[in-house]
Amino acid sequence: MTSLRSLVARLFDGAEADAPGAPDADFVIAPRDRDEAARLLDIASEHGLVVLPWGGGEHQGMGGRVEPDIVLVTSSLDGVIDYQPEDLTVVVGGGTTVTDLEETLAEHHLTAVLPEHPGDGTVGGAIAAAASPWRRLRYGPVRDRMLQVTLATGDGRLVTAGGRVVKNVTGYDIPRLGAGSLGSLGVIVDTCIKLWPRGEASATVVVDDPERALGVAHKPLAVAGDAREARVYLSGTAREVEAQAADLGGKATSGLSWPHDPAGEVAGVVRVPPALVGDALDRLPAGAGVVAAFGVGEVRWASDTDPARTVLTEVRAWSETVGGSTVIARAPDGLYAEFDSWGSPPSTLDLQRRIKAAFDPAGVMVPGRLPGGV
Amino acid sequence: MATTASTPLHDDLVSALDASRVRFRAIDRALYAKDAGVTPGDAEVVVFPESAAEVAAVVKTAARHGMPVVPRGAGTGLAGGAVPTEPAVVVVLTRMTGIVVDEANRMAWVEPGVINLDLSRHTRPLGLHFAPDPSSQAACTIGGNVANNSGGPHCLAEGTTVNHIHALEFVDSRGEIRVVGSAAPDTPGLDVRGVLVGSEGTLGIVTRALVKLTPDPPAVRTILLGFPEVEGAAATVSGVIAAGVVPAALEMMDRPMTEAVERFVHAGFPTEAAAVLLAEVTGHPAAVEAEAALVERIAGEQGATTVRTAADDAERELLWKGRKAAFGAVAQAAPDYYLHDTVVPRTRLVEVMTGLYAIAERHDLLMLNVFHAGDGNLHPLMAFDASEPGTLERVQAAGAEIVRLSVEAGGVLSGEHGIGLEKRDLMPLMFSPMDLDGQARLREAFDPGGVFNPGKVLPSGSRCFDFGRPVPDGAWV
Repeated sequence: MTSLRSLVARLFDGAEADAPGAPDADFVIAPRDRDEAARLLDIASEHGLVVLPWGGGEHQGMGGRVEPDIVLVTSSLDGVIDYQPEDLTVVVGGGTTVTDLEETLAEHHLTAVLPEHPGDGTVGGAIAAAASPWRRLRYGPVRDRMLQVTLATGDGRLVTAGGRVVKNVTGYDIPRLGAGSLGSLGVIVDTCIKLWPRGEASATVVVDDPERALGVAHKPLAVAGDAREARVYLSGTAREVEAQAADLGGKATSGLSWPHDPAGEVAGVVRVPPALVGDALDRLPAGAGVVAAFGVGEVRWASDTDPARTVLTEVRAWSETVGGSTVIARAPDGLYAEFDSWGSPPSTLDLQRRIKAAFDPAGVMVPGRLPGGV
Repeated sequence: MATTASTPLHDDLVSALDASRVRFRAIDRALYAKDAGVTPGDAEVVVFPESAAEVAAVVKTAARHGMPVVPRGAGTGLAGGAVPTEPAVVVVLTRMTGIVVDEANRMAWVEPGVINLDLSRHTRPLGLHFAPDPSSQAACTIGGNVANNSGGPHCLAEGTTVNHIHALEFVDSRGEIRVVGSAAPDTPGLDVRGVLVGSEGTLGIVTRALVKLTPDPPAVRTILLGFPEVEGAAATVSGVIAAGVVPAALEMMDRPMTEAVERFVHAGFPTEAAAVLLAEVTGHPAAVEAEAALVERIAGEQGATTVRTAADDAERELLWKGRKAAFGAVAQAAPDYYLHDTVVPRTRLVEVMTGLYAIAERHDLLMLNVFHAGDGNLHPLMAFDASEPGTLERVQAAGAEIVRLSVEAGGVLSGEHGIGLEKRDLMPLMFSPMDLDGQARLREAFDPGGVFNPGKVLPSGSRCFDFGRPVPDGAWV
């Protein structure tokens, strides 16, 4: 280890970094460019060192716990590389924060449709965590924005797939595979994202029957809330927003005031077919804070540890019987030992393992983080 | 081998299905060795399974005989994706036509042989439709749409097939029936569903798809615009999107194509215009009104000489008939045509079109253009007579130049037709050897023995890097 330590110190001199909140590791390194990222992963694979990619730390509560030898911080892989507002595309480094990117895009009234409250989160992190925004109801999940990706694979190759245009079927869809991969394949060093124009006007309408609102509103950005009260988020031309708000008949305010994730010691998501969101809300214990994405099939919840146990046993079991899942987004260490982050493993574990091995043959990228210990 | 005598493979397939659905006469093998493109292949035997279990039995039987498997829908593909490049079992999925609608979730489980338009007709009474609408939608199948990640005019706002697939049931290379994805969002684990879509039958055979059904828009307006210059039409497309509106469709035709269509359909398209745009805005009635006004204003500023809004459904259907019949209309100009499919950044449309005309002139070919201008998806079409010696060679040489021109402008090889055989050897224009190796490894993860649709998508020799590190225990279960 000593000679390895001095080798890494020499090769990555000046790239040492901090990753507040990250687990202890022998090396915390922020590669300064994609080649350096690939070189670090090559060394990791050569020496069997476990790697944990780290962006803003916003989604690190997901999946099985990892004890890394190397924390690879993406903060220097940042910045806008190629921005074509008229083509509705932007290429950014994976370490770019979502906030910085959206600020750049706002100048042209565009959006990458990433999480509305990104915190310190990075673009690469949001993609790796498949962190979709509330606006998913209208624009689809984050994976549908992925046009091109360059992965530094677990064994230090730089693999680019997809293209920098809004429509493309050239080769296998590795960009979408990156969404939700949680660092298991490699590090997203840069990516091309499909952009959407922001509507000229927007409004938030409070309704008491979200299921009815889904039938009345045409292409709302989102319908979010709980069983008693939900908000319909509208965007479009001024006249359309006004007319849609009138159709809905609730109290309307101008602008979009997005819900925050519920607060609590343990947080997670129940995912079910969209028509069962009401059922999921009924089954969640009274002690849990909830925000549901109606029409999507998702309920974000948070609670103290005891109600969380009920969610991770009873609600999880029910959600799996209807084809869904109940996953942990964040929890105290003890709870990860008590409950699997994902629930029952998927039936395609053999295939998942082989896909991971295609990108990370030495198995150094976040081993055990994906479902089934992959 | 070109024999009509029964072989052990035939016998085993007959016992897996039945004799009426296993064909190996010369005429069947010739019929199913070709798609709608120009390259013929070599079908050893053609089978017509009626269930996932039968598909699985076919895959297992073929494996026992060391014979590759090539899945096939209606054969409307133009890139050779369903053409067997070596003797193969061709699996025709057109007999699997079940549809089970889940209205509450706005989804449907659809078997691969369902014709695209039939699905939307089936769900029309519910006010729902399947959004991807390729021009071949009256003939092409859902299985083919999944294999090619098909688009169509309305994918500008709604996205291509992959955005409309929640889950897939497929038969893997070992003949096992698997399901990936779910009616619930974000199934835990890697998104295998997303990789299967667009994989052109090289990773597995899809036997059922859980598709998203989209509510019919409450209001629609279709506007025909004619411009004296291509530049004005292209600037209108960019201007509308820059103004924050993504219309449901923005389709462009150049003058040669407009003339051909007008002779064929008599829809009143302005044949004097250098470029015609067909714009469609859909949504809430208030939105449609405002967005139609915006399109008309920007078109006016860009010099449009024709602005015609469809007065009713009949006129709207006529305008779309003109657009979707474009390829049929070309048959009047010449007996054969070769249709290309590339994408360029929308802002490069004008310069790329100028380049396209130069290529056609250089090769002395008649070129017509009809394409999805909104997303920069070009479809240059060369009309010719293949019986004239040397013509097909000129067409193919021009085609390769078209692809190079598109890639040089920052574009890609294909927007919706796929790579298949046609563009396989052009993949290095876009991807480095290491990129192609990455794709080849992904393919191996699904199909280590190269059972499915060999010789497609990736050029031979793509799997070229081996860092020689040991694979951890259990990784290749």
